[in-house]
Order: sequence, then C-alpha cells, then structure tokens
Amino acid sequence: MAQRFHAALGKGDGQAACDQLNEETSSKLEQQEKKPCGEAILSLQLPKGGTVADTRVYITSAFATLAEGGTDFLDEGPDGWRVSAAGCEPTAPSQPYDCELEN
Amino acid sequence: MRRFLRDNSMSIVFLMLFLAALCGQAIAGHADFNDTAVSHGDPTISLGRYVLSSDFGSAVMENWQSEYLQFTLFILLTVWLLQRGSPESKELDKPGRESDESQKVGPYAQQNSPRWAKVAGIRRTLFENSLVLVMTTIWLGTWLAQSLTGVAQYNADQLDHQQDPLSWSHYITTASFWENTLENWQSEFLAVGSMAILAVYLRQRGSPESKPVGAPHGATGVEG
Repeated sequence: MAQRFHAALGKGDGQAACDQLNEETSSKLEQQEKKPCGEAILSLQLPKGGTVADTRVYITSAFATLAEGGTDFLDEGPDGWRVSAAGCEPTAPSQPYDCELEN
Repeated sequence: MRRFLRDNSMSIVFLMLFLAALCGQAIAGHADFNDTAVSHGDPTISLGRYVLSSDFGSAVMENWQSEYLQFTLFILLTVWLLQRGSPESKELDKPGRESDESQKVGPYAQQNSPRWAKVAGIRRTLFENSLVLVMTTIWLGTWLAQSLTGVAQYNADQLDHQQDPLSWSHYITTASFWENTLENWQSEFLAVGSMAILAVYLRQRGSPESKPVGAPHGATGVEG
C-alpha cells in the first residue's frame, strides 16, 4: 500500500496517490491547501517512488519505512489499509514523528 | 447425572459465571474499543475481530495472571504464615511443611492415597508441590501473554500518535506495563488480606470459608 502510494506520486498521478489515503487525511489536505486532493498532494515534499524496507503491524495500525528514507503510518479500515500520515521523519526520542502529510 | 451435577456444582456454577462474564467483557470491551476508535477518527472493527485482538487479549490476561499469582502466593505463603483466629490460617502450632505422618506420605500413606504420595523421590516431591507448581506455571504463562498482547496494543497506540513502536524487552520496563500489572496485584493482595482478617470476626453459616457461627474469635484454622 505504501509502495503504491509513493509509486503513484513518482508517476505524477495525484488522484491515484489520494486513493491510497484514508478519508480523514485526504479531507484535511484539501481543507489546508484549498485544492482537490489529487492536485494538493503533488505539491507536498513527499518521497516519489521507492521501496518499503520495513513494515510493522499492530492490530489496525501499521508503519512502513522506505529504503530511500521516510516513514508512512497506515490504518486498516473497512476498505483495507490506507495511509494516514506520510513523509514522516523522527524528531526527539519518545516524541511523535514530524510528517509532511498527516490526519 | 443429577448426582454428578450436585457433586460438582461448585465448579460448574463458577465455570458458567466465568463464561458469562467473559462474554460480557467481550461485548463491553468491543463497544469501548469502537467508541475510542471513532473519537480518534480510526476505523471500527467487528466483535469477532475484537476478541482475536491484542486489546481483548491483554485485558483478559492481565486479570488472569493476577488471579493465579494470588493463588500461588496464598497457597505457598500459608505454609509458613499464620493469622490468629482466621479459618484461612493453619493452627498456630503447625507452621511449615509438617511431618510425613500428618501429610500421609510414604509409609504413612493410606490405601486410597494418591499413588505418588506413597512413593519416594522426585515423583513425591513433584506431587507434594504440584498445586504451587501448576499455579505458578499458569501465572507466569498468563503474565507473559499479558506482556505480548500488551506490547501489541501499546504499539498500535504509539503508531496512532505517529510515534515509534517499542520492542517487547523495552515494553516490559515501561510504566504502562507495570501500571497494568500492579493495579491487578494490589486488589488481589487486598482481597486475601481482607478475607484472612474479616473471617476472624465475621461468620457465614454453612460456608467452608467461615468458622462455625459459634466458634470463638480466637479459634484458628477451623472451618464451618
């Protein structure tokens, strides 16, 4: 899922990338950028393409770390896994990641 | 059949109560899980998914482990610890493991004694301590299960807040794990202590957990 998300960004297909987001994250993006999700998402500094190096799943939450750097957070819903936060970098220990896109 | 039910009514009734309470916990826990998910903007899950989740598993295991710890300590420590006047205590002149004669082992075993009570060596040692050994094994097993399900639940919450998950070895040093553990332990120890002391002065006619109604407060190790 995370790989498909970044592959869509790599191809410049903003709508395909938005299809991998959960509803809350895509709505928040549209509200903040005042543009449709498919357009707004391409203006963010998110990794384009890349491969997932590590994945961890706990109940209905997961994260995927890209080999090229950056981490995505995912939630499982009725439609399957969706990206809830992307382009995340660690900050201080025990502190939340700083994410380019989040819900 | 009627005889079987009567002779085993205690275990049957408590099994039924346990199953009913476990089902109730699953239903209430599922509702609570989904309420929290909705408030966080997270997806909800089905009851079937919930009872297989670490959230439910952790909630069940943290209670089971404390119950089996309670029994382990109660069974073991009452070999040596005494409480004057309590039916939960041995008589005051009998602390310790007691004699082979009073325990009916080896040459003092009766014809209908369990087989391993009659023999010597490792088999008798295991049988003499089988209650504590099994209770301790169950306690440690359920405590381990609590930690494994707890770390999954903890890490799901960590990811929900875009924080790093913890390893199991790190999780068992966290305040969250020990808070969940000790909140259960304190209640178990309170229950045993309360029972030991309240039963000195209070009675319940017909219960083996109580002294006979007319027994003096100072009578120790006497059951009704």
